[in-house]
Amino acid sequence: MKFEKKRAGVKQQIPTASLPDIIFMLLLFFMVTTTMREVDVFVKFKLPEAKAIEKIENKRLVNYIWIGEDGRIQVNDAIVKVSDIQDIMYKKRQALPNLIVSLRIDKGQSMGIVTDIQQELRKAYCLRINYSAMMKE
Amino acid sequence: MALIRKKKKPEPEIPSSSMADISFLLLIFFLVSTVIDVDTGIGLTLPEYVPPDQIQTAPISKDRMAALLINEQGDVLLDGNVIAIPQISKNLKARIESKIELDKNKKLIVSIKTDRKTSYNLYIQALDQVRMAFNEVREEYSKKKFGKRFIDLDQDQAQEVKEKIPVIISIAEPELIKK
Repeated sequence: MKFEKKRAGVKQQIPTASLPDIIFMLLLFFMVTTTMREVDVFVKFKLPEAKAIEKIENKRLVNYIWIGEDGRIQVNDAIVKVSDIQDIMYKKRQALPNLIVSLRIDKGQSMGIVTDIQQELRKAYCLRINYSAMMKE
Repeated sequence: MALIRKKKKPEPEIPSSSMADISFLLLIFFLVSTVIDVDTGIGLTLPEYVPPDQIQTAPISKDRMAALLINEQGDVLLDGNVIAIPQISKNLKARIESKIELDKNKKLIVSIKTDRKTSYNLYIQALDQVRMAFNEVREEYSKKKFGKRFIDLDQDQAQEVKEKIPVIISIAEPELIKK
């Protein structure tokens, strides 16, 4: 007895003509929903968790200040001192009056450094801040 | 005579088989170079900076004030009584609710004060509890008054709720914190 696979007589192939279109759609979706990665983060940090958190709607208004677990402070692309923050943020605020400063602080940090930075921000007149936190399950 | 027949020209066409590869490359480039993660966090507006010698203190009645103190050992005091962090929102909720119908300048102020060595995580937990208390009161008020959730209210209604229950969180001047 012969075993033979039944095959259709016609040639089989998957139509690939629309493949580029599908990929382009995906591409456009990603272009619209994401924003460009602007800086590399040098410091290592783990955000605290909270429940009553809100989303920042306008990402282009956001400016980040990172504080790592070793206490280093990063603004933009550089590690800075606490005393530099006032100057940097003041210039930023002039370019973008209603900016939001997002503080991404390691949860193991102490309040001393946080209050120092808040004082600098107040001097620079950047009053809208946001303590970055993860959603608690 | 040989039959001169025009050679049939093949139809001109652009090779499109590599199009998918090209768009895949583009797609991968965008996936790598962009970020999707949304920023979430607790928003706060800092007070304006006043030089220490110009600070004016206005007396505030004790009834209006909820003072939250967090020390470096992680003990939390609410108006002088030791309290566990998860209890804060329940405790504040009743006090916020009792002031809904009062005048604008009689609403509850929550003041948060920390030591320099207080852990940041603990501060966020406490702040989170305070925000939660305000959010829950807003939620209940809008459900009772408009029968809708706070986020589903239209602009005027949301404004009214915000006016009735304003979130006032004050952060103590660091000069007052012992170093």
